[in-house]
Amino acid sequence: MKTTGEGEREYRRSELLKLAAVAGGAVILGGPAALAKAAQEGATSESGRLQVLDWVGYGNDGGQSMFAQYVKTHPHNKPQFTHMTNESDALAKLRAGLKPDLFRPYVGWVKYFAESGLVQPWNPKLISNFKHLNPFMVKAGQQHGKQYGIPDDWGFDAILYRSDKVHPKARSWGLLFDERYKGRIAWFDDLEMLVIAGLYLKMAKPWHQTDEQLKRSQDLLIKKKHLVRLIWASESDLWQAFGSKELWIAYAWPNDWVQMKNKHLKVVYMRPKEKPIAWVGMFMLLKGTPRPHLAHAYVDAWSSAKSGKWLENNYGYGHANTVARPSSSALLKALQLTNPKAVTEPAAHLDRDIPRRAVYARMWEEVKAS
Amino acid sequence: MATEAGAAAPLPRRRRLRLDLSTPALLGLPLGWLAVFFLVPIAIVAAYSFNVYSIDPGPHSFTLKAWHDFLHSPIYLKLFWKSVKMSLAVSAVVVVLAYPLAYFLALSGTKRKYVLLLLLIAPFLTSYLLRVLAWKVILGDQGVINSFLFWTGLRSPDHPVSQLLYSRFAVMLVLGYIWLPFVALPIFVSLESLDRRLLEAASDLGASRLQAFRRVTLPLSLPGIFAAFLFVFIPTLGEFVTPSLVGGASGYMYGNQIVDLFGTGFPDWETGSVLAIFLLGVVAVLTVAFARFLQPGQVATE
Amino acid sequence: MSDVALSPSGRWILRAFFALVVLFLYAPIVILLIFSFNSSPVPTFPLSGFTFHWYREFISNGELRGALETSAIIAALSSVGAVVLGILASLALTRRRFRGKSAVSALLLSPLVIPYIVFGISLLLLFHTIGVPRSLFTVVIGHIVISLPYTILVLVPRLDQIDASLEEAAFDLGASRLRTFRSITLPLILPAVLSAFLIAFTTSFDEYAVASFVVGPRVTFPIYLYSALRFPSQLPQVIAVAVVVLVLSLTVVIAAEVGRRIAERRLGTQ
Repeated sequence: MKTTGEGEREYRRSELLKLAAVAGGAVILGGPAALAKAAQEGATSESGRLQVLDWVGYGNDGGQSMFAQYVKTHPHNKPQFTHMTNESDALAKLRAGLKPDLFRPYVGWVKYFAESGLVQPWNPKLISNFKHLNPFMVKAGQQHGKQYGIPDDWGFDAILYRSDKVHPKARSWGLLFDERYKGRIAWFDDLEMLVIAGLYLKMAKPWHQTDEQLKRSQDLLIKKKHLVRLIWASESDLWQAFGSKELWIAYAWPNDWVQMKNKHLKVVYMRPKEKPIAWVGMFMLLKGTPRPHLAHAYVDAWSSAKSGKWLENNYGYGHANTVARPSSSALLKALQLTNPKAVTEPAAHLDRDIPRRAVYARMWEEVKAS
Repeated sequence: MATEAGAAAPLPRRRRLRLDLSTPALLGLPLGWLAVFFLVPIAIVAAYSFNVYSIDPGPHSFTLKAWHDFLHSPIYLKLFWKSVKMSLAVSAVVVVLAYPLAYFLALSGTKRKYVLLLLLIAPFLTSYLLRVLAWKVILGDQGVINSFLFWTGLRSPDHPVSQLLYSRFAVMLVLGYIWLPFVALPIFVSLESLDRRLLEAASDLGASRLQAFRRVTLPLSLPGIFAAFLFVFIPTLGEFVTPSLVGGASGYMYGNQIVDLFGTGFPDWETGSVLAIFLLGVVAVLTVAFARFLQPGQVATE
Repeated sequence: MSDVALSPSGRWILRAFFALVVLFLYAPIVILLIFSFNSSPVPTFPLSGFTFHWYREFISNGELRGALETSAIIAALSSVGAVVLGILASLALTRRRFRGKSAVSALLLSPLVIPYIVFGISLLLLFHTIGVPRSLFTVVIGHIVISLPYTILVLVPRLDQIDASLEEAAFDLGASRLRTFRSITLPLILPAVLSAFLIAFTTSFDEYAVASFVVGPRVTFPIYLYSALRFPSQLPQVIAVAVVVLVLSLTVVIAAEVGRRIAERRLGTQ
């Protein structure tokens, strides 16, 4: 088993070298036009279905429009999806031997994965839509001067609540800990909850809490956990429970607000005064992938203004392509799409690396177990 | 494989030279399979829990740290205890409910007892997940029970019977539902093998039916009861699917914690291995303690 | 004849209780059946109308069909494997004397009592350690381990029932042990072999916990179901599949059991 594995890897390496040679030669000879052609040729010399590790809802289960262009140009290399529950799940799957060509963690994990040795930087020159991508988000995808992440969708962690049932005392994350709504509150199953507790407790660096601060955040969560009905791990769980009126208050993303509005629920998506946390999806390219050009083509399709508009209209998220605009002006306003700095200070906290992630994770597991 | 090789060998027709179907040939494959795909994997998890082995790059050596942390963490042990209590309650209730069913089938002298037994057990042989799904559809605030109450006017839509779904209650109800048919089986077997003449003798000696039950039937069916109890308790203690579907925040069990440590939580396989081995240890002790009730005859159909 | 175990009223109460429990066991299944024909995508009362729509939708759902197919392949392979290993082990347990028999039988039955979550993780670590990528076959390997004790539990009592002198007679007449097995033992235990096969098949077809750790890119039916359960929009389709699978498996189980009884009666158990 081992030997065939190594043989494959070597084969891949030589393929890559060949592709690099083709691309390099093309640049010298004919400039960008030939480069695009080389990318095309490179892509056609790659075989098999493109392996994508992505979140639920971004593949053949509803996100087809995002990569329709890719499927059209590469009908023989249609993407095949494996679902990730979150980045930790993706990490566990990668470690356990899953070999996707690309996957999509969020911005707070760029540093972690870039330094993990699992991924390699992209070549932005092979992505025609790259120039339209929001420069702040592009920068957030860089590590050591290389483009490890290509930004795609973005949005916020904030609070969704039913205005017919819930009357917040303040525009604050504290609504997730409000004793009046016992049994009607949902949290998110991620160590991010400790960051939110830190924000609520007015800590200066919620992403890098000291041991004493972490303990305080954890204590708050453990103390308030009896109020919580559901700690949701996948959005569809949240929709089911919120849509069937089990829940009134939830940690949620903009799409959840769109979905619940579609169910004719009276819902408000509240930006807390401690500020929402902004996230940006980042495509990352796995080291040793046999299909690098196909992966670039796939990301290019995702990055187009057309895909962006579709995403904004249907998912209620922003898109990194600055040309993309949703049809609804309400959404435009809610997401502050016209503000190129909507995801960073002073509008929001851009999610960032958690240096002591393992410690956070452990403390979050303890909250759930308590 | 071994048998074919044995059969193909051109051996003279002498009994003592026959190598085919010898004991090692018979046992080699099944035991080998279990050794490689059952015992070795467990040994790897154990090694992982002591950090003797790790997929993380870098040096690793024997340490009791993860075990120490686990045994001194009030949280994990409390969660384990909570799961034990939930499983105990489910197992006890289910055994109490199943006993009269098995008694009825085994001792009422009904002619169609095997048909009825099959009727009872059949749901157990159908999809586990689908039976959980059925309850998810039934229990929600907008589910079958509540919408039925609204429809018939027994309850106003503004005040559903809440907290049915996503609760500890939901987890226990569903687990009980799933295991009830299965539990009746070992009890039925032990009652069926009971010699009715003992009861007749008791009756002849003037014992009432209740006395005969308490002095004769119940003690003689205890092995079946223990076996039944164990067969529910063990799988429910390690359960993670039902709680993740209907348990919500309060129905979270020990098994969910193990899954999270290996998956959706930031991977901490060392701690996860400790939790897994601890669970296995508890189960092993229980099994050994009840081993004499777990002989093949006790659980075999008929 | 006055019954020593039950008074007439006791019998009546137990019968009513039995009926009640059966009702409790089947009601959720019947509710699924009803809602699989309901035209509204949300399973709530009152019923909104009759439709075959959800059945048509699931028949045209390629992913779902693929998952069913994968599970069928895995169940077929693993049940054949488990039955073969089960026959070998059961023959040794019933027809041979050897030292450490009780330890061997304890080991053979031990997969019955391991929490599947622990076993799933153990297999995952094993395959990871030896560098085997996860695939259909990694699931098959795990399912053989899980099903093996069930096949033994079905086969051992049947082998015990068979008069060993028949085998001895054949053997004494010069038949090889293999020949004896083929022409005497196997036909006699065939009904038990079939029911062992069936139990192994259904166990594998329905298994989620172990498969969820070692499954490759081709998902099994339970794994597909588990993720589909989380999508409200897929719920009606899943309910329709649920009904088909439940009814099919109930039919197979009952048919197999009835068939086994008839066969055993014909072959004569002692």
